Amino acid sequence: MIQKKVCVLGSFGVGKTSLVRRYVQSMFSDAYLTTVGVKVDKKTLAVGSADVTLVLWDIAGEDDINAIRMTYVRGAGGYFLVADGTRPETLEIARSIQARVNTEVGAVPFLLLLNKADLQESWGLSREPVEALEAAGWTILRTSAKTGENVEEAFLELAKRMLS
Amino acid sequence: MSSLSLSARDTPDMADTPIDEARIRRLADLLLEVARTVDPELAASVPSNFEGDPRLEALRSVLLEHDRAAFARLQQKVDDPQEFAEAVSAVLASAFALAASRDERLASILAPTMERATQASIRTNPKTMVGILYPLMGPAISKSLAETLDGTLQGLNQAFKYSFSWQGLKWRLEAYRSGSTFADVVLKHTVVFRVEHVFLIHRKTGLLLEHVAAAEAASQDPHMVSGMLSAIQDFVRDSFSSAEGGRGGGIDSLRLGDLTIWCEEGPSAFLAAVIRGNPPESLHTQLRETLGHIHEDLHGPLEQFEGDSAILGDLSTRLGSCLQQQEQPKEERLSRWLWILPLVLVIAVVSWAVSRAVEESRVDAYVQLLRDQPGVVVTGAERRDGLWHVSGLRDPLATDPAELLAKANLAPDRVAGHWEPYQALNPAILLKRMEATLSPPTDVSLVIYGNTIRARGSAPQHWVEKARAFIAALPAGSPRIDLAELQDVQDPTFIALRQAIQAHIIPFDSGSPRPARDQEPRLDKIAEELAQLIKVARGLGFSVRVTIIGHADATGRDTSNLSLSAARAEVVRSMLRARGIAPDLLSVRSAGALEPLKPDATDEEKAINRSVTLTVSTTD
Ligand SMILES: Nc1nc2c(ncn2[C@@H]2O[C@H](COP(=O)(O)OP(=O)(O)OP(=O)(O)O)[C@@H](O)[C@H]2O)c(=O)[nH]1
Ligand SMILES: [Mg+2]
Repeated sequence: MIQKKVCVLGSFGVGKTSLVRRYVQSMFSDAYLTTVGVKVDKKTLAVGSADVTLVLWDIAGEDDINAIRMTYVRGAGGYFLVADGTRPETLEIARSIQARVNTEVGAVPFLLLLNKADLQESWGLSREPVEALEAAGWTILRTSAKTGENVEEAFLELAKRMLS
Repeated sequence: MSSLSLSARDTPDMADTPIDEARIRRLADLLLEVARTVDPELAASVPSNFEGDPRLEALRSVLLEHDRAAFARLQQKVDDPQEFAEAVSAVLASAFALAASRDERLASILAPTMERATQASIRTNPKTMVGILYPLMGPAISKSLAETLDGTLQGLNQAFKYSFSWQGLKWRLEAYRSGSTFADVVLKHTVVFRVEHVFLIHRKTGLLLEHVAAAEAASQDPHMVSGMLSAIQDFVRDSFSSAEGGRGGGIDSLRLGDLTIWCEEGPSAFLAAVIRGNPPESLHTQLRETLGHIHEDLHGPLEQFEGDSAILGDLSTRLGSCLQQQEQPKEERLSRWLWILPLVLVIAVVSWAVSRAVEESRVDAYVQLLRDQPGVVVTGAERRDGLWHVSGLRDPLATDPAELLAKANLAPDRVAGHWEPYQALNPAILLKRMEATLSPPTDVSLVIYGNTIRARGSAPQHWVEKARAFIAALPAGSPRIDLAELQDVQDPTFIALRQAIQAHIIPFDSGSPRPARDQEPRLDKIAEELAQLIKVARGLGFSVRVTIIGHADATGRDTSNLSLSAARAEVVRSMLRARGIAPDLLSVRSAGALEPLKPDATDEEKAINRSVTLTVSTTD
């Protein structure tokens, strides 16, 4: 059986825990309980003929005081960068995190998730930076932990990339 | 740089001898030339005196050609670092060996360099060094730990040495019996645990490599547990890393309620054991060794691991060896009871059998004792309804069988006797019977000689007569009773009185039934003597009977003589009765003229025959 460590990274409150929860347990809650340290979860999915177990490391979000611990990222087979569409600054944080992760684990597959897509009308995200990242080769998905939009797809996509 | 000095040694011989200057110059030139040849620098600075002398040049080239070439080769070797290195490398090993064998200098010279090299290596890439040392470190740490632990146990041993608790004593006994140390026994009893899970976790990715669980052990998803454990390790390692930037160690032990998690870290993977209860230190060793072996055998695959555990093969049996457990002593207690129960039974059975055997042998002894008794015939002895029954024949005069029970150490309620009475002809019993029936006088002793009982001593006549009657009544086949040695002894007073009484002849007138008138005092005397005799006899334990015999002379008819003599006896009887003699002691017999006291020829004789006499007999 194949296992992969997948880290879920991003600024605080962007919906990392909610995305994992939606994906693993198909549940969502409006309550916000900030993650302390790491919360490990897992889900097995089929990619083609192979079964892959994703061990999901939901890592506490980065804030002004605490940067993400790179030790948690070590050995990751792939990762998600999560930004909150309603908070444009979280995209910049995602970019900075990516740079750091890249030096720690190298060029492993990752996806950028612009979360809270259900609140798209209140998004403050301008198009330019997003397009710039796409131009740099990033794969970007709009997701919603609340509605489940693009959640399965995001995980499946990352799994495929990690196996290829 | 180099300088050349030539000095000729002055000898007195040289000083005094006139010197050929030209020869000396030539020699000097020659030497200088040799020096120039050897040292190129000198050749350059000092001009040759032979320059231009083609003969010398020719000679030189002939003489030194060979040396020159060799020298050039050497020069080349030393100047070219590559070649020089090659040359040195050929002899380096032997040179080291030689130097090392000579003294300690080489080691002390090399040591600092080696240390610096190691330090540098560790600084640049600690993993290499750890990788090299890990297979050594595991056993080394185990060993030092074992030694430390041993020390602790010795301490424990000391601590318990003077403890005289019941538990302590019991454990001491156990240690003595099993031949192990006291500390081991203490550990054995205090350490009760069970390893419920063992996780082998890849350090870099935190992914689960293998997981084994004890039967019925509940658990979270092992993948998640492994991720969380590895996250915790990362966190701790990261947070408490040393100031110099070196990585700190992870967590060795975590405690969650009565669950303990022990982590054993290796370079590529770590083992986590989830343990319920108090694990012994030996489990650490087991974990360490298991992890060490996995690292030794799977060094490459562990390095390359990226999520596909197939490259590691099946590790579950290896981890399985860590799933140790220590049973609760409760079970041991049960087994101890189980052990005691049959023992008690065996003891009971054995003691019952033994007591029965003992009792049986006592009954045997008892029966033997009975058989030895005269007058007892044992016909059977058997055990029935938990009681011994002894039956047979017994002369009533024989020993009471119940009295012999105590002699045979038997309780009276353990044996029931069933005895039929019979009369034994055994001499001993017969003797007893004689004693019981005849109550022999104290002077008489009865002694058994074989089948004969002999009476000895002296006895009164009446007793002898009684004994004779007893003997006469015995059934045929009885032992013989011999009275021959018995002497007839009577009381002299009694004999005297008897003789006196029997000597009396009371005369009667012819044809008269009444004694002559002058006979009154004689009768008084007889009565008096009789009374005394009766008294004496009573004192001796018997009674007397007096037979009054009436006689008549032969004159007249026999019939009338008979009645006359009877009448005479009756008259005497009544006269004695009148004098106070109890009539039942007096019997009367008429002899007529048939028992004359004298031949009855003369008148005097006839007068004597007309009389009454008395005979005394004794009865009991
Ligand atoms: N409307 C909406 N709300 C969301 C969505 N995802 C998360 N939220 C809410 O955002 C808040 C934070 O969500 P979390 O999933 O806890 O965020 P997080 O990234 O795990 O935060 P930290 O653990 O603090 O780093 C919660 O109140 C969620 O209900 C989404 O897709 N749509
Ligand atoms: Mg969270």
